[in-house]
Amino acid sequence: MKRAFLKFLMFGTVIATVGLTGCKKDTPKQEEEEEEVDKDRWITIAGAKMGTNPGDGNGGTVVYSISKEDARNPGVSVSVYDNGFPVKSNRTARLQSSEDGKTLFNIAYTGDNGGEFSRYKVNGAGSFTQEDVTVNISQYASTSPRWVKLFDGDKTGIAVNVANIQANNAAGGPTPDAPFAYFRGTATVLALNLQDVLIAGYKQYEIPLSAEEELLGHAIFRLDAPVLNKAANKLIIGTWMQKRNPATGLTESGFERLGSKSVVVDFPSLENPKVITSTVGFGDNSGYRSFNSFLATDGNIYQATQRDSKGSHILKINQSNEYDNSYVFSLDQALGVEDVYVDCWRYAGNGIAYALYTYGGTSQGYIARLDLNAKTATKVDIPYDVDLDFGQYQGILVSGDEVYVAVTPVGKNGNIYIFNSKTGTVTKGATLVNKAGNHYIGVF
Amino acid sequence: MYATTYFKNRVGRNLGYSRRILQVWSIFLLLCFTCAAYSQSAPDGIVSGIVRDEQGNPVPKATLQAANKIALSNDDGSYQVKLPAGSHRLVCTVTGYEAVVSQVRIKPGGQLTANFSLKNKAYGEMEEVVVSKLSEKKNLETQGFAVNVIETKEAAVRNFQTNELLDRTVGVRVRQNGGLGSAVTYNLNGMSGNSVRIFIDGIPISTYGASFSLNSIPPALIERIEVYKGVIPAHLADDALGGAINVVLKKGMRKNLTASVSYGSFNTFQASATSMFRNSKSGFTVKASGFYNSSDNDYEVWGKFVRNILPNGRYDYVRARRFNDAYRSVGGQVELGFTDVKWADQFFIGYNGSDDHNDIQHGTYMSIPYKGRFTESQAHVFSLNYRKYDFIIRNLEFTLNGMYSDRSQVVVDTVRWNYNWFGEKSVGLSGDPILRPSGAQQGAPTINHINRNVGTFRAGFNYDIGENHRIVLNHIFYTIDRNQQDLMKSEIERSFIGTRDLSKNITSLAYEMKAFDSKLRTNLFGKYYQQKIDRMDPVLKVENGQTTREEDRVNSNKTTAGYGLAFSYAVTPSFMLLTSAEKAVRMPSEGEVFGSPGENIVENISIRPEISNNLNVGVRVGPYIIDKHKLSFSVSGFIRDTRDKIVQRINPRLNDAVQTDPFENLGKTKSIGFEAEAYYTFHENLSVLLNMSKFNSVFNMRFDPNGLQYEYYNKQLPNEPYFTINSRVQYVFKELIQKKSALNIYYNFGFVERFYTTWLDIEDFRTPRQFIQDLGVSYLFPNKKFVVSADAKNIFDKQAYDNFAVQKPGRAFYLKLNYTINNF
Repeated sequence: MKRAFLKFLMFGTVIATVGLTGCKKDTPKQEEEEEEVDKDRWITIAGAKMGTNPGDGNGGTVVYSISKEDARNPGVSVSVYDNGFPVKSNRTARLQSSEDGKTLFNIAYTGDNGGEFSRYKVNGAGSFTQEDVTVNISQYASTSPRWVKLFDGDKTGIAVNVANIQANNAAGGPTPDAPFAYFRGTATVLALNLQDVLIAGYKQYEIPLSAEEELLGHAIFRLDAPVLNKAANKLIIGTWMQKRNPATGLTESGFERLGSKSVVVDFPSLENPKVITSTVGFGDNSGYRSFNSFLATDGNIYQATQRDSKGSHILKINQSNEYDNSYVFSLDQALGVEDVYVDCWRYAGNGIAYALYTYGGTSQGYIARLDLNAKTATKVDIPYDVDLDFGQYQGILVSGDEVYVAVTPVGKNGNIYIFNSKTGTVTKGATLVNKAGNHYIGVF
Repeated sequence: MYATTYFKNRVGRNLGYSRRILQVWSIFLLLCFTCAAYSQSAPDGIVSGIVRDEQGNPVPKATLQAANKIALSNDDGSYQVKLPAGSHRLVCTVTGYEAVVSQVRIKPGGQLTANFSLKNKAYGEMEEVVVSKLSEKKNLETQGFAVNVIETKEAAVRNFQTNELLDRTVGVRVRQNGGLGSAVTYNLNGMSGNSVRIFIDGIPISTYGASFSLNSIPPALIERIEVYKGVIPAHLADDALGGAINVVLKKGMRKNLTASVSYGSFNTFQASATSMFRNSKSGFTVKASGFYNSSDNDYEVWGKFVRNILPNGRYDYVRARRFNDAYRSVGGQVELGFTDVKWADQFFIGYNGSDDHNDIQHGTYMSIPYKGRFTESQAHVFSLNYRKYDFIIRNLEFTLNGMYSDRSQVVVDTVRWNYNWFGEKSVGLSGDPILRPSGAQQGAPTINHINRNVGTFRAGFNYDIGENHRIVLNHIFYTIDRNQQDLMKSEIERSFIGTRDLSKNITSLAYEMKAFDSKLRTNLFGKYYQQKIDRMDPVLKVENGQTTREEDRVNSNKTTAGYGLAFSYAVTPSFMLLTSAEKAVRMPSEGEVFGSPGENIVENISIRPEISNNLNVGVRVGPYIIDKHKLSFSVSGFIRDTRDKIVQRINPRLNDAVQTDPFENLGKTKSIGFEAEAYYTFHENLSVLLNMSKFNSVFNMRFDPNGLQYEYYNKQLPNEPYFTINSRVQYVFKELIQKKSALNIYYNFGFVERFYTTWLDIEDFRTPRQFIQDLGVSYLFPNKKFVVSADAKNIFDKQAYDNFAVQKPGRAFYLKLNYTINNF
């Protein structure tokens, strides 16, 4: 992976040089060079069918692959719902792809096969071959696990789960007569060997917060979106926090949020969970069905927040695995709007990232180009529709300098958009044919 | 603010309903007047006589039937029946005797004597099954409703569960999550879940709870089961959107005692006894019955859903016996009172007690086996029943049922480990047992005690105006107080669990009319529903620095009306048209109105009832008799057009940790289909019953907000068994082994077409096509008191599924002994 990444960077530099020094005539040359990077990479597009209500995505997930050339061509129409391959999952599949785009990974979410990890070979168009070996992680991480792939050359997937949050003095627990001290769940962190299709290891533990925080009733409700640090010796895992009223045991809705927290565990042993807290962000950083933290070119980890009382922030975790609270990047401020909520985002290289977001409490989605170093954000200029909702979006593809996003409002046709992370250019790609109630949820 | 808008809504809606009800009743009254003429057109005559047996002894309780009039003979065998002038076939039937038909011609105002002499007959002669209760079955089935009446007589002596009987009925699909005692849902013509209501003797089954249910009541205690599809008569008052199943328990007309024991595969043991005594002088009557069921349900399961997960996550497919699936239920009912006395046709006070224990082997799918999860329920039901014809005034029948029930249930799930299909702890990579991801087998650890006090009061008046008109007024009041205590929660948490008290009032009024020599029968009815739910959630209030627990109370009061009609017309005596239609409603449940603090679902006080416009059209043809062949046939089509279906929207951006979306009236579905049934008999030896049901239950929202047609519009909803065929073949050998004995041989099959279980048309999510066959034999000994039955079920040991990924029992054998004494 490291080598591949270096390759990307090298070509990126070449292209950037060409882009900066060249004139219009150089454009074909630039494409030629890119072809060499990912000549035969399949671009797999995923769509979510509705279950009972438009946009709920509960009808299952369908995938379809096209060539890079077709993906770039707005004259090409793709309808995954007519020609695609249904991925075996009762609800929306939780997909990830190999770096070369030739393999699709899925963990089925709920259903009789919930928690079942399987690999599909991408053959192009609606042809996917499920490999005959599967592995089921449901005993460790439930039938509805949250998982992502690490950026380690397709070696490891990490699934996480928190369950059975209860008071220290719960009647069925070990100390029913003790005074209240905390609500805690049992966390599971599990490593999947993606190549051999095996569970590589797992750990289960309770993860304490500070005694004061716990006395107030704060607890980790979910873990999600782990990322590997630069030294490849720690995992940083996002959290979704909850507060229960110790006097009633009921969950609270209007509580004062703590600083955003992440759980740091050793890798690959998965031991020694430790909680780190930001003083900049006050939201969750669990993301939703996709990545939410990235190791950037500068060796630091950048993390987006959700449900942040001060609007989504991008937080920085330094190479000592602590929040760098001197780094303040408020998307509200950068975009000049209120209540930004990052649904999904992706680091694209060289301090540039693309974020799918909403603001002002609506569900209409927008896309912004973020410069993590300059702490600026600009709304990308593409047509936006009131029914565009990235709430379930899972797959932003980064291939070389190009960032692929499937943009379809619920029940309306849309396009693949390709953003150049170096130059910021926007290319309208293939047309995505939609059906009522459905939406596209990713490019892999 | 909340309260005021809510109040406005209510008032507005009430006015709307009142207007609609007014419309309904004006049509109703108009019909009353226009039809009144018919009652005068055919003056009556009286036929009377005495029914005797071969020895000349009077036969009481014989049924005499002609032109849809029914009379019973008295203790001295005498009877009297009023009939319209003209020619009639007067049929005299009584259990244990052959039916006798007498052709009578009566003049207007005339009197006629017709005496009957009945011949004894042996059990097992088919006609008994067909004829003995024909009157009631036929009476119900020819009113115009889409109703099936299931006779339990034959099943009672065989190794059958009540649910199996229902499952073989046309248009009914029973879906059970495993073996005896496991959770069941019923699908009637494509409608299921809480749109199907179940009654016992006209009382909602929730009065009794899980321990006295269709899972535990043996067919021997049941007189008959009425299955109403889509349109439900006024006397079954509940908000049943898609249909109702009414279990009529044995009424017992004569002194008798029956008892049976059955034993078979999976250590299944079942026993039941029922007895009735009546003092003919005083009318004092005692009825008692009891049952016991137990099974280990340790049947073998195999296939792609049965696998042990190895420490590294790989599958090891195994064949295993279910190990946490035992079921036991016991129950009894005693009623004391008077029958056929001056002041009451029936007066009983009674007690019904029941208790069950049910191990739960798995959740929705059997891919993860549970250990140690079980439920136990108990119910004590005290009842008072009164019925009197000619109550105060002539031709007025009054019925009153009052019941008070104390129900309790506990759900226990405290085992913390994962288990494999061999019942062993699953171990992880480190060699240690793996904890269940959510703390216990199915969810968080729980010892949840749920207690309910249910009061049910039903009063009904039937008033006959002449022979051809009847007005039925029925009111039911139903109240349920529920509280729960999860012993796995801390004391504080327990004291902050809210309560939900629900009460329902349902008033229904029906007008029944017969015309054209009873060829036309109509039934018009209207129902008015009122449902009140009190919600109390404890909250913390801080005043002057003091924190106190206060109770936050809100209630929801909803009213709505429904109406419908049923009519039948006999074009010829063997060709009858039947139609029924209803605007049916289902009131939102407490969870749908008030959400659930446990699952963070917020409340939606303004949620409306679900509405369904239901229509049935059918014909009944026959019986046609050619020599010894006899054939009858029925076919009917139906539509269920459901609106305002209550569904929950999903919004990923809301904080699941804090709140999730409420329930809303968003869905629309439609079910269109047909069902057919044919019954053929040859001589007195062979009978063949064949029925089939096929429907399209489709997603019925057509356009999205942008006017684009939904992909699923008019597409079959997933997880609906839409095509089923059932058959029963019976052959009787009379006096084959002993004189006066009868040997019955039975063959059954049930076919269910495969169906997809999700919107994705993936083979892996499709159920297999099923064809399950059973064999049975029963032998009646010459003394007519003793019947032995043996049954072999699923004889080819096929994988049977009602629900996706839940295997039902394979091949199984059962033996049953029955003993009956009459007139002791």
